Amino acid sequence: MFTNTLAQSRAWDFFKQPFRVLSSLRLTVVCLGLAMLLIFFGTLAQVHLGIHAVQARYFQSLFVFWSPPGAGWKIPVLPGGYLLGTVLLINLIAAHAARFQFSRKKAGIILLHFGVILLLIGQLLTGLMAQESQLRLDEGETRAYSEAPRETELAVIDVTNPDYDQVVAIPERFLTRASTIQQPTLPFTLKIRRFLPNSQLVMRGQDSSASSSEATNGVGVNIAVSEIPRTVKDDERDLVSVFVEVESMEGALGTWLLANAISDPQSFTCSGRTFELVVRQRRFYKQFALTLLNFTHDRYAGTDIPKNFSSRVRLVDLERNENRDVLISMNDPLRYRGYTFYQSGFDNDDKTSILQVVKNPAMIIPYVACALVALGLVTQFSMHLFGFIRKRNA
Amino acid sequence: MGAIFFATVGCKDNSKITIYRVPKETKPQMADQVSATGDAGAIVRWKAPSGWQEQPATGFRKGSFIVRDPDGRTADISVVSFPESAGGLLANVNRWRAQLKLAPVNEIDQSITPLSVDGHQIFFVEIVSDKPVLDGGMKSRVLGGILGTGGETWFFKMSGEDKLVASQRDAFRQFLETLQIGRGVATTGTSTNAPTPPSIEAPEKAPLRYALPVGWQEQPLSSMRVGSFKVSGQNGKEADVSVVSLPGVAGGDLANVNRWRDQLRLSPIDANALVQSAEHIKANGHDFLVVDLVSESPISEQRDKVRILAAILNENDHSWFVKMTGEDQLVTSQKTAFVGFLRSLAIP
Repeated sequence: MFTNTLAQSRAWDFFKQPFRVLSSLRLTVVCLGLAMLLIFFGTLAQVHLGIHAVQARYFQSLFVFWSPPGAGWKIPVLPGGYLLGTVLLINLIAAHAARFQFSRKKAGIILLHFGVILLLIGQLLTGLMAQESQLRLDEGETRAYSEAPRETELAVIDVTNPDYDQVVAIPERFLTRASTIQQPTLPFTLKIRRFLPNSQLVMRGQDSSASSSEATNGVGVNIAVSEIPRTVKDDERDLVSVFVEVESMEGALGTWLLANAISDPQSFTCSGRTFELVVRQRRFYKQFALTLLNFTHDRYAGTDIPKNFSSRVRLVDLERNENRDVLISMNDPLRYRGYTFYQSGFDNDDKTSILQVVKNPAMIIPYVACALVALGLVTQFSMHLFGFIRKRNA
Repeated sequence: MGAIFFATVGCKDNSKITIYRVPKETKPQMADQVSATGDAGAIVRWKAPSGWQEQPATGFRKGSFIVRDPDGRTADISVVSFPESAGGLLANVNRWRAQLKLAPVNEIDQSITPLSVDGHQIFFVEIVSDKPVLDGGMKSRVLGGILGTGGETWFFKMSGEDKLVASQRDAFRQFLETLQIGRGVATTGTSTNAPTPPSIEAPEKAPLRYALPVGWQEQPLSSMRVGSFKVSGQNGKEADVSVVSLPGVAGGDLANVNRWRDQLRLSPIDANALVQSAEHIKANGHDFLVVDLVSESPISEQRDKVRILAAILNENDHSWFVKMTGEDQLVTSQKTAFVGFLRSLAIP
């Protein structure tokens, strides 16, 4: 009994100091100060990096790294958004654990803080798990997938079966360095020879200075590729190019140039099966399909100012036996199977509708958190109010 | 808390290779094809060549691209449409000439070439400044395509530094050839630069639709011919163009090519030689086998050698023969028009 108590006491001594630091108000102030610096430098960096790169490097990261121009190494210079958020969250929980004394008088405060903790957790989960993509539909067109506008994938499509295509989708991060990709369902390996994050393609015949092509097969043989700086503009998109060598058991089958700018798949056969290679925007397939029946775009009379735009779509889900028409308008999204389809834009002289597709498993958390905060505030103020009335009446 | 963090980091699915099955895709139109609607309602679709970077279409523009060379120079490509004839072909060519500080022209000259695309005539224009007009002492060049769709006129224009634009000539012409012009849409105007595709009907046969190349004249049809044309050249020279449709393989490609070779007093060839000498032209989903034959010496009353340019298409248990026969020089000069005619053919 005595040794147990002694051991517990020693263990507590061991954790006491770090726990004190984690629960201190100083840590809160330091974190908030660093968060201000992060926002300041992140805002400045948007000029050279663009908003999407800044989001990834400054806010959706553990550390912000810096490297001198031309150097092959980098050092962390600031904590990133994920690290600061996590530390603030731990700080808030630890502060409560250290000073927690439940009393009816503090019930409102506790509820309120629990709501804030939940809000932070919800934000962290949203940042990590939410998936945003776009669905572009021409009138009359049906699609069962949405696309990530700024993510690229290499799709290896086995088109041998007449009834379906089997797709092996390889995310961009596997393509960015020279590597070998082996996938058990494919009878060959893919060797990434060269990756260009943004590129310009010119027909070889028009560029006399072009060196010999790295591509030995497909349309890339006649195309000269040059790397250009990545775009930082919000309305432009990088055009990825990658040289991929295909090697089977019998030997190398050739090297293909695959690029966002080459939209048609390039095919080859291996082990009696026909495959297609294509670099495209990353796709997210759904268990259901949407058809754009028509898109309407109302303007205020006599002006070009949009008043309302809406898409009438047909939702077909064979699994759930759904077949119905839905109207998606600016403030009236379609929510189905965990996805939310917002009317986001239009194109092509009002013949194409662009829907923003959001899947966020943590979507409910901010609502619950806000409800808890509101409940906490109401409880706390009510207790004060009733206490005040009671005193007055006494 | 750390566990939540790392568990959710692991959930982010862009870190994994995924495998899935999807239904076969149907491709009703070319991938990455873009379309726009003109003021009079015609829908024009195009496909930009690889290497052209699409830009947001602003103001009058229905489409906008830039192309860069390795030195960082850029050329601008625009697609705009205006109602009616927009002043006419010559006025617009002279407008572009004025931009290049060139004197206006009074008649259609060599800088303007008619092309046949998707059943419509497009005027391809190429103009280069004769002195430096750009910053840095560089000459400027304009490539243009002017298309009348009935009710409106579409302008496709590339402009920029002389050499860069010249290097894009083939790409620009290919771009023009991808144009698909919506048919059957409302057209309100009456004035048009381009004739609508003529449609003739052969007796008891499905109608053949095509764009009539410049300088070709329609001729009366016969029981064999579903299309018949006369091409007039200089010094009264003429070439004959026939379109014939027969059921089945009609003897086969080799037999027909050897029959034409015989007409030109050339010795027959075997299947291998045919494969080596023939070209394939793909248009509107059809695969034409094209042969270009020329006699070794003038035949009968002809002063020049005789040339036969012919295309064979075997499709849906039918054979189609498009054949141009005439004096060597005239037929050679009509080769582009012949290919344009093939591309415009809508086989019923």
